[in-house]
Amino acid sequence: MLRVVLNDAPREIDEGATILDALRRAGIHVPHLCHDDRLEPVGACRLCVVEVDGAGRPVAACTTPLADGMVVRTHTPALEAERRTLLRLLAERYPPGAGDNAFLREIRAYGLEGALAGRPRPELVDDAHPYIRVDMSRCIHCYRCERICNDVQGQFTWRVWDRGAETRIVPDSGTTLRESSCVSCGACADSCPSGALVDRSTLALGPATRWTRTTCPYCGVGCEMHVGTRDGRLVAVRPVLDAPVNEGHLCSKGRYAFGFVDAADRVTAPLVREDGTWRTVSWDDAVRHVAARLQEIVARHGPDAVGVLGSARATNEENYVAQKLARIVLGTNNVDCCARVCHAPSAAALGAMLGTGAATNSFADIERARTILVCGSNTTACHPVVGARIKQAARRGAKLVVIDARRIELADYADVHLAPRPGTDLMLFNAMAHVVLAEGLVDEAFVAERVDGLDAFRDFVGAWTPERVAPECGVAADDIRRAARLYATERPAMSVHGLGLTEHVHGTDTVMALVNLALLTGNLGRPGAGINPLRGQNNVQGAAHMGCEPRNLTGMVPIDEGRARFEQVWRASIPATRGLDLMEMMEAARAGRLRALWAIGYDVLLTNPEAERTRAALAALELLVVQDLFPNETARALAHVFLPAAASFEKDGTFMNGERRIQRVRRALDPPGGARPDWEILCDVARAMGRGDGFGFGSAEGIWNEVRAVWPAGAGIGYARLEQAGLQWPCPGEDHRGTEVLHRHEFAHGRRATLRCLEPRVSSELPSDEYPFVLITGRDLHQFNAATMTGRTANAALRPRDVLEVSVADGERLGVRDGEPVRVESRHGVAVLPVALSERVPAGALFTTFHTAEAFVNRLTGAGLDAATHTPEYKRTAVRIRRETPPGRPRAR
Amino acid sequence: MGSVRESADVASFYHLRGASLEGRACAGTACFVARFLDPERWRDAASRAPRVYCLGKCYVAPSVAEDRRRAGVHAVAPRPVVLERLVDASVRTLGAYEALGGYRALECALGRAPAAVVDEVERSRLRGRGGAGFPTGRKLRAVASASAAVKHVVANADEGDPGAYVDRFLLEDDPHALLEGLALAAYAVGATQGYVYLRREYPDALPILERAIAEARSAGVFGPKMLGRGPAFDVEVVVGLGSYVCGEETALLNSIEGRRPFVRSRPPYPSASGLHGRPTLVQNVETLVNLPWIVRHGGAAYAAMGYSRSRGTKVVSLSSLFRRPGLYEVELGTPVRRIVEELGGGLATGVIKGVLVGGPLAGVLPPRHFDAPLAFEELAALGASVGHGGVVAFDEHTSVRELVHHVFSFAAYESCGRCTPCRLGARSVEDMVAPGRPPGNATRFEEIVSALRATSLCGHGTGLGEFAQSVLRHYREELAACFVSS
Repeated sequence: MLRVVLNDAPREIDEGATILDALRRAGIHVPHLCHDDRLEPVGACRLCVVEVDGAGRPVAACTTPLADGMVVRTHTPALEAERRTLLRLLAERYPPGAGDNAFLREIRAYGLEGALAGRPRPELVDDAHPYIRVDMSRCIHCYRCERICNDVQGQFTWRVWDRGAETRIVPDSGTTLRESSCVSCGACADSCPSGALVDRSTLALGPATRWTRTTCPYCGVGCEMHVGTRDGRLVAVRPVLDAPVNEGHLCSKGRYAFGFVDAADRVTAPLVREDGTWRTVSWDDAVRHVAARLQEIVARHGPDAVGVLGSARATNEENYVAQKLARIVLGTNNVDCCARVCHAPSAAALGAMLGTGAATNSFADIERARTILVCGSNTTACHPVVGARIKQAARRGAKLVVIDARRIELADYADVHLAPRPGTDLMLFNAMAHVVLAEGLVDEAFVAERVDGLDAFRDFVGAWTPERVAPECGVAADDIRRAARLYATERPAMSVHGLGLTEHVHGTDTVMALVNLALLTGNLGRPGAGINPLRGQNNVQGAAHMGCEPRNLTGMVPIDEGRARFEQVWRASIPATRGLDLMEMMEAARAGRLRALWAIGYDVLLTNPEAERTRAALAALELLVVQDLFPNETARALAHVFLPAAASFEKDGTFMNGERRIQRVRRALDPPGGARPDWEILCDVARAMGRGDGFGFGSAEGIWNEVRAVWPAGAGIGYARLEQAGLQWPCPGEDHRGTEVLHRHEFAHGRRATLRCLEPRVSSELPSDEYPFVLITGRDLHQFNAATMTGRTANAALRPRDVLEVSVADGERLGVRDGEPVRVESRHGVAVLPVALSERVPAGALFTTFHTAEAFVNRLTGAGLDAATHTPEYKRTAVRIRRETPPGRPRAR
Repeated sequence: MGSVRESADVASFYHLRGASLEGRACAGTACFVARFLDPERWRDAASRAPRVYCLGKCYVAPSVAEDRRRAGVHAVAPRPVVLERLVDASVRTLGAYEALGGYRALECALGRAPAAVVDEVERSRLRGRGGAGFPTGRKLRAVASASAAVKHVVANADEGDPGAYVDRFLLEDDPHALLEGLALAAYAVGATQGYVYLRREYPDALPILERAIAEARSAGVFGPKMLGRGPAFDVEVVVGLGSYVCGEETALLNSIEGRRPFVRSRPPYPSASGLHGRPTLVQNVETLVNLPWIVRHGGAAYAAMGYSRSRGTKVVSLSSLFRRPGLYEVELGTPVRRIVEELGGGLATGVIKGVLVGGPLAGVLPPRHFDAPLAFEELAALGASVGHGGVVAFDEHTSVRELVHHVFSFAAYESCGRCTPCRLGARSVEDMVAPGRPPGNATRFEEIVSALRATSLCGHGTGLGEFAQSVLRHYREELAACFVSS
């Protein structure tokens, strides 16, 4: 504790603070324009100078560490005069006129409005970016844009040119921000204190009058954001500065892709399709209709002819209600969610080996790790805020090993980049385990205390030499050794992985092979380590965790294990039949065994593999209810009933992010027209089906309290506590602070975990003479999955279409040009995509996104499924390319 | 040798990137005050882009790059330390340096513990000769006691202060003395890699320095084992691209790293986190050249010379308006009057109005204060500074308004742009007092000067403020005529 005197008042302040920190804690405002808590202070604007007894000159409060005994004065006449001089110097170059920003507020506070005398500089205005307006005539050279771009996002887009009074801040394109390397994270515009960089939405719709703290509706990182509204309209989103997950940062989706909420084709009243045409109906009619049709089908074909798909986009509360409805109202365990098509293998592998099917550590461990292993995850595109944190960790000296078929952006920062052929990660991990054992890099103490099966594993992995797997993986044996050594010796080593590992015929086994590595090297149960699946959607972890899983109840409890407890709370019996997962439901629909499907916030047709077979399955249903914000492809093509739902900005609840953190979702605006929160719709249908007793919830909090009653590890996470900050489960009691790191002293299922001996499985999508390329599908930075939301925002301008990334070598060989449309043919279907020649894709591989119905890329993907979880093999499809226009013939104009 | 390595945006910071010095006239302060001796040359210096501030030929000002005349070198201190070997001579080869006892200090140091070198330097009470006057021994100790696998030593050969040219002569005529000093410093602090950051304006020094390093390497002075018995040490020369602020140590480190050479905020100090985040000792050339002598003769012998808290000797660089311009190594504490009148012989061109000691970004000393001793605290009390030891006298050919315009013009040209007062204040005053402009507002001038002094991020802005403040103090009457009161 430091004893200091601030403006004659004695204070005690924690060590490590700067003078500015101390002043702010004491409620003393000194002007400062270059300071941003997210950045290292640089002392550029000099407005925060204060007098310190014994110092020869005033010192900048932002850069000066507080020291014991300091006597600080902040508003002497001399200091105020200096501030006025500095502000006047800035004002003389700043254009006069209205506006509200931190700089102008200080100008007004010092009565210097009359000094604003800069001339308009139209040549410094850049209007090309869809979200950010640039007017550098308003730049006051605080360098916050450049610093936050470098030191938070790691993008280096803003460049400083020349020096002194001629200093200019310019995008790296040298032209417009739109044409630069900008990833539209909006950090610069968020930090800019002078109106040089402004959100276009603020200019168009006016500044927000109310701010509501909530959680981002996009990926599973779970960034917290402030949602700004004005006259009931969403006008801006800003990052929450003290959020543990995003630490004041967002990406282009979270920050800017909110315009979908008032998109023109938002559905605001329930619709029923009759004779091929949609008819608007009242909610009463819609609910009665759905209830009656479901009852009819259950009566005729039995409860297992009905299925429900919960939604990774919906809240925990809503998913809880959905699975409860399926189980005790409809009477079936046919309930699933889109975790099936992404990280079900991670949950299965981690659950089986360690006892908990979720990330072992926290995003904050990125800063604690000495080595970061990134596997099958294009993190900077798909989990951009985590990607940025990894980039910064690498810049600060953490070792980075990237295992990805493509030379993704993080590979540029990596100490080792292994680019295995798609689907060969399992044997690569076996070879890394071989190296760890062969070179004596095992954490003997950890293994002795906590790991079983070493002898059998040693025998098994003895044959998996780097030299053996190198040709099939397409990776140099020495690189495998280097990666293994870093992971085993530069500890703690943290693994993060994405769907590049899981969406394969041996996805679960691949994650298990990764867990083997962590067990061998003691990289579990400690900060800066662990196995961490990066969850793809805001609440995909929560949807499955709440029980939208055919075999598990809320809390990932197998049905038979939890039956008694749940039946007691629910006062109803849980069906005994084995439930169907999503892929089994599709099969059952085609076979006529499944007759009705209720799909909540899920575009099944666009996103399931083998689109034509998915279409056949859905077309065979007697009742397809789609509950969404928009008429998605599933609804447009095949639904019978459409129930308009509220967006997450329009309701209360909680999401669970990829590091097991429960965070609040808060209603910032009203749903448009008749759109309603999913849980209300579900409860109404339950009531209409005569089961109002278990569904009489009056609020999201009421539902959550029931979740806490059935899920012991979440019992301590009440809404009151969530007002302060999110909490990571397990959090069994109100006085428990949550769990950042799992398995610290023992695993969830006991003291010891067992190594697994895992052989790769054979895929039917291996390249052949007929289909020589391997197609990988995935996501892009600016679009999100089925693009239901992002496609209705200006993000569509940042990424207008799906493109086929072709290696430059293959492009030359095939003679295809950048932008040329080509036919991509697999054994399952055809899609036409424009070529994007890329240095990041290896020869023989192709990459595309699956965002748009225009391309409908899932016409190409096949029937391969992960053996354990039925997760589709999205990451490996054998294809060939046909030129649309034969070479040599000019294209018609 | 390396040049500063950076991307195009960082390169745009430096005004001499790609520019040739061929035929360039110098725009430095000594040339400015002597401009009437060759008005045409001065017009060229002041109007051509990029401007070249100080080629280190102040003794023949106004100068051009091609002028290869040497300055007179005089060792007038009781025991010369820095210039002894250079009086009417140069010591460019290893053989010549060794013949004069060169590298014997290093030999002797390697036989003792590194801490013994630090102790000796502390005993000498040597202070940095680059301007700030920070105790060298304390800096050495800080780096020596930092625990790190890799440390660096850097010779700051960016003698940017217009008016000083001692480092140029040391670099060109006694390179091994610098290298031995650097090696001693490296041994003392436990560094194995040394750098010399050489300013672009001293092109003749580069081949000489490179040759000296090559000689030292092939003779085994440097290499995996210094002198065959010590720890490893090697030196790399990094050439600047034109920027005065790179003489500030943290800007210099950023420049070597290829970053924009803004000053870094401190703490952390370079002694804890310097080049590439490693503990780093940065010392200027003259400071390092003192080290071999101190090791050989003992710190006490060095400290025996000097005055008050300013011990040892200092080389002053006298500019062309003196009757006897040149380099003079004097004992610290020597009265300025002795330097100006006795050693320099007074002015040949007219009545002396004042001297700028230690560069333009320090105070002006008027004749009534010439009895002040050349010493850190004593000059600071008068608003002036020892600085780099440049002594530029000006006479009635130069009005105070012209002097203020020259100095603010220099400072604005060289401002890095990081902090508000220097970026905008320097330019504002430059514009206010530009030739032909109507008189500016006196209050505004004083406000900006005050903000420069009180709020600037580094010595560039505060030094500029101190200069203007000393002008306000000593030449208020003449200055007042340039302004209207509000």
